[in-house]
Amino acid sequence: MREVLIIGSGIAGMACAIRCAELGMHVTLASPYPSERAQSVMAAGGINAVTADCEPGDSVACHIADTLRGGADLAGEQAVAGLCAHAGEILQYLEQIGTVFSVDAAGRPMRRAFGGQSHKRTHYCGAGTGKLMVSALVMEVRRWEAAGRVQRRLRCTFHSALLRDGVCRGALLFDEATRSLEPVCADATVIATGGQNGLFGKTTGSALCDGYAAGMLFLQGAELKNLEFIQYHPTTLETAQKRMLISEAVRGEGGRLFYLENGERVYFLEDKYGPGGNLMTRDVVSREMEATGRDVFLDVSFLDAGVIDARLPEVRDLCLKYRGIDIRREPIPVAPSVHFFMGGLAVGLNHETGLRNCFAAGECASIYHGANRLGGNSLLGAMYGARVAAEAIAGRAFPEDRPDFSKQVEARRAALEEKLASQSPFPAMYIRDMLAVTMREKLGIVRDEAGLRQGIADVDYDIAVAEQIKYDSSVSPYFNYSLTGILAAARATLSCALARRESRGAHYRCDFPERDEAQRFASVVAYEGGAYRVRLDREHAYES
Amino acid sequence: MKVDILRQRGPEEAPYWERFDYGGPPDASVAGVLDWLNYHDDMVNDKGERTGRIGWECSCLQSVCGACAMVVNGAPVLACETFLRDLKGDTLTIEPLRKFPTVRDLIMDRSVIRDQLRETGMFIGAYRPGGDGDHAHQYAAAKCLKCGLCLEVCPNYVSGNTFFGAAFANDCYLVAARNREKSKEIGAHYAAHFGAACSKSLSCMAVCPMHIPTLASIAKLNRRTR
Repeated sequence: MREVLIIGSGIAGMACAIRCAELGMHVTLASPYPSERAQSVMAAGGINAVTADCEPGDSVACHIADTLRGGADLAGEQAVAGLCAHAGEILQYLEQIGTVFSVDAAGRPMRRAFGGQSHKRTHYCGAGTGKLMVSALVMEVRRWEAAGRVQRRLRCTFHSALLRDGVCRGALLFDEATRSLEPVCADATVIATGGQNGLFGKTTGSALCDGYAAGMLFLQGAELKNLEFIQYHPTTLETAQKRMLISEAVRGEGGRLFYLENGERVYFLEDKYGPGGNLMTRDVVSREMEATGRDVFLDVSFLDAGVIDARLPEVRDLCLKYRGIDIRREPIPVAPSVHFFMGGLAVGLNHETGLRNCFAAGECASIYHGANRLGGNSLLGAMYGARVAAEAIAGRAFPEDRPDFSKQVEARRAALEEKLASQSPFPAMYIRDMLAVTMREKLGIVRDEAGLRQGIADVDYDIAVAEQIKYDSSVSPYFNYSLTGILAAARATLSCALARRESRGAHYRCDFPERDEAQRFASVVAYEGGAYRVRLDREHAYES
Repeated sequence: MKVDILRQRGPEEAPYWERFDYGGPPDASVAGVLDWLNYHDDMVNDKGERTGRIGWECSCLQSVCGACAMVVNGAPVLACETFLRDLKGDTLTIEPLRKFPTVRDLIMDRSVIRDQLRETGMFIGAYRPGGDGDHAHQYAAAKCLKCGLCLEVCPNYVSGNTFFGAAFANDCYLVAARNREKSKEIGAHYAAHFGAACSKSLSCMAVCPMHIPTLASIAKLNRRTR
């Protein structure tokens, strides 16, 4: 039976596992924690789909046009067309496996619009769409586990790909139970490890998504794409432990952004863009907030308390619990924060990376969102991409031989053992924190050449330090060995941002503030003998 | 502030208490306290002796993933939503959930929850929604984090026993509500692994971070499977 190794068990990983099982393959689904801990459960907003009973005037063509325009004309048209055309079918599938979507009193699905959408087409499950999708997918995976088609491996983290002549034949996993590196051979390997939040320290996402897998595969020959496009979510709330996302649904329900001048409220987005100003795309809103140079607040206190209790209970509870703010009475202090990575592993239309038989889906893959993602398109992209990857794997002929990797495995085990055989108390988290400071400063909402060059110098220094240190053996070895890949992903991101000498979507250069149509191509970065080489994908190598 | 932590180096090792001095912000969450204690060049206990960093699990830090379930001052809670300002006394005690095998320090192996659901075939299969159109309750039940707090607090749940607890009952309800043809099969599992042994203390509902009204699942299943 065909063997598929899937790394990461959030929405993309589970959706891919289910589809592979349905298509008659056997899946090893590896992750450090069960799916309930995946970042997917934090996706609050919803999932976009044009359905038979859509809003009058809406169509798949409108969804495609919105997605391409929102992405600042950088996403591949064919890829986006596939995504949007299958959205209705995916929504129906999710419903059938038991996702509890919000419905009105007559049982009709509820929809909302997010920034940049021409119609209301975001279906949702209260404020917990990601969580409810995860619950349904977990049950469906369980069905295939019971049938022997999916085998979960928990407490396992990715270490490196097993490559032979440029073809991926599986991966080396670090197993926390045996505390050793274990090879898992497979016909196809799927990476579904989420975005690169960890590069930026405190973000809205999960502490577990750190970009290591993408960075490590990059060092092993996979190319990364569009890394400079990092979505800052405009409305996040500072708390002691992390930045909390205040859902775009708050603005969807009428929430207004303002700052104070001489005690008066200035509704700067409405002043500039008219009544719909608060629902401009996330990149525009974040940039306008930054440009005010002041503390910005989000207000819904003018809404009826009953409306807030009915439609925004999770936001109400979160503000009260973590900051003691009652949104029914007072405005929420908000600031933009890193939220989503449009960039990641470069994949083709079939979701294969530059390494043959190694696929990627979900936030770690870069394909549908161009230079800026629309709210409601990430859950859709995770579901759709996962299914595309599974179907591509089903339709492929794989080599029959089982190459011997014992030498590589032994060499990598020995290298890890050597790093671990130490009483060094030096915590890897110090380097992660130094990196986060660099990334937040140099890859903020507004960037410039001098800052990016300094950022590269800083990360090069971090890389040099990381190569020297021994590991603190009282933390998980993963937390230590992952530094290499994380730093490579960071260095590649800075390189892409430096190379793109224009402003487009989420990438804003104050030294090149205009869009330049000559650069209307994805940026692709490759690791060649220690050098980070960035090029524009003029030939559409990945998305045509 | 003194922080007492029940530690354990590995699954086969004996647990032991270690005390730490906490000097971080007074309004921190327990998750913040653990981060603060771990974030030092030299990890030392309150006697100044060198020690290893404290193992604990975290992912979302906003009470939607269930990773950081632990026992704080005797109560099973999520560390990320338990704040020092709400705790009494001048010593903080932190233990792992005791009804699951300890992996290391505050990290437990909670895979029994998933194993029991898998072994009883708790999945929908064919989608055949039944007469129960209680959308709001389905939404509530599907928010279960599988964190294990309800099992920790339950007077009837003992690891290795045939009683599977509230997390099991809520998934039984979800499957029964969406595939009426599985009702009978689910009913048998529910009776064998929940209905017969639940003493209705409802302590599970009091500690559930998602506030799942498990009593409603129980009532619906009792009606359905009677």
